[in-house]
Amino acid sequence: MTPRWVPRVTFGLALAGVAVAAYLTYAHFTSPAALVCSDKGLVDCTKVTTSAQSRFLGMPVAVLGLGFWLVMSALLSPAAWRASSQWPHRARVVLSVLGIVFVLWLVYAEFVIIGAICLWCSVIHVIAFAEFVLVMLYGLDVIRPEAAMEEEG
Amino acid sequence: MTRRKAQPRQQSKKSSKGVKARQTARTKRNRVIATTSIAAVVVAFVAAIAFGGRKPTPGASGVSDATTVAGRVTGVLASTLDQVGVGQGVTPVEMLPPSTPPLTQNGKPDVFYYGAEYCPYCAGQRWPLTVALSRFGTFSGLGITTSSSNDTAPDTPTVSYHGSTYTSNYLVFSPVELQTRTGETLDTPTPAQQDLVNTYDTAPYTTNPGAIPLLMIGNRYIQIGSSIDPASLAGMTQLQVATALSDPTAATTQEIGGAANMFTAALCQLTNGQPVDVCTAPGVKAGGSLLPAAPVGGP
Repeated sequence: MTPRWVPRVTFGLALAGVAVAAYLTYAHFTSPAALVCSDKGLVDCTKVTTSAQSRFLGMPVAVLGLGFWLVMSALLSPAAWRASSQWPHRARVVLSVLGIVFVLWLVYAEFVIIGAICLWCSVIHVIAFAEFVLVMLYGLDVIRPEAAMEEEG
Repeated sequence: MTRRKAQPRQQSKKSSKGVKARQTARTKRNRVIATTSIAAVVVAFVAAIAFGGRKPTPGASGVSDATTVAGRVTGVLASTLDQVGVGQGVTPVEMLPPSTPPLTQNGKPDVFYYGAEYCPYCAGQRWPLTVALSRFGTFSGLGITTSSSNDTAPDTPTVSYHGSTYTSNYLVFSPVELQTRTGETLDTPTPAQQDLVNTYDTAPYTTNPGAIPLLMIGNRYIQIGSSIDPASLAGMTQLQVATALSDPTAATTQEIGGAANMFTAALCQLTNGQPVDVCTAPGVKAGGSLLPAAPVGGP
């Protein structure tokens, strides 16, 4: 049984992810200067958001992030946590893992390749990590192999 | 009757116990998976941060700056270039006669750049050329340098094509950087490239045969010299020039962005208007107005 606070908290985290990703996407399509952020020293949002690593397979990472959090908002909504179908529960875990792997790459890129971190990107990374922890701790339990077999059968 | 009724209840109890045991085992297994994966992620985070922290701090023109400059010059926003439009202070390219054989490689239009790191006009020309080419493909390994300290517009900040690669679905880019800023040999042109230099780096395209930089845009357009004034970058670092490229009102962005829009419009003619979003952008259309309508020496 998933504690009642888990769907609420994870949904809240996902909505926060959408908000920050939308802010980064707005800055991407207007000007990096639109971000309220330092541009000197280790914290340098402009340096990060205009780096070669700000794109992944030709797509702006900010846009990918916004898409990710929109999908996660649906999968982390209280209704999705209650779903009798198994695919939202599986998709939630799979996307959480993919999300955190991508965050790891971005953190590596910031610290090792670019040599600067972006404050707003870090906020998203913290949200992604918190969401990953909660999904791993509570999301695995709602996956019922027997129910999945029934669905497939 | 009693025995018959009691049997299913016992079976149900057994089955219920079995389900509970399986559930408990699954919960335990899930906890192990969760704890292990969370721990692995934490370790990976710490390793990434620690590895980054151990990296030697680069100097003013170190690896980190080169990466940042490359990221900024190759990632100028289309909206910024649209705002720049024709820009200011841009020297237009010249058109080659229609009879000039097209310059291609592997079936793609070829853009040939011939210059050197010491040369201040090459330093100026690389900025808009890099911005324009980045709209059609991807650079990797771009370096940073400055022109010679003992020439016109000394120490002009710039990127370098030596050792870089460019991949594009639309174009081939063939840069040759002859020498470093202090005159050491870098790249050697192929015989075919040397033929181009011998044929086109001369009158009527220049009064100074062999001058650099020579830029040939698919043998449709040519420029010998720079499209921007390198002196306008005086006193700036590569990072400052690259960072200013996000500000369409900056004087350097007006020059670099305007020239980049002109180059992009010329490149769009080679690619038959591909990619569409680039070639139909307002800035590129504005840049196209800088392209000459007739070849050098008349129509």
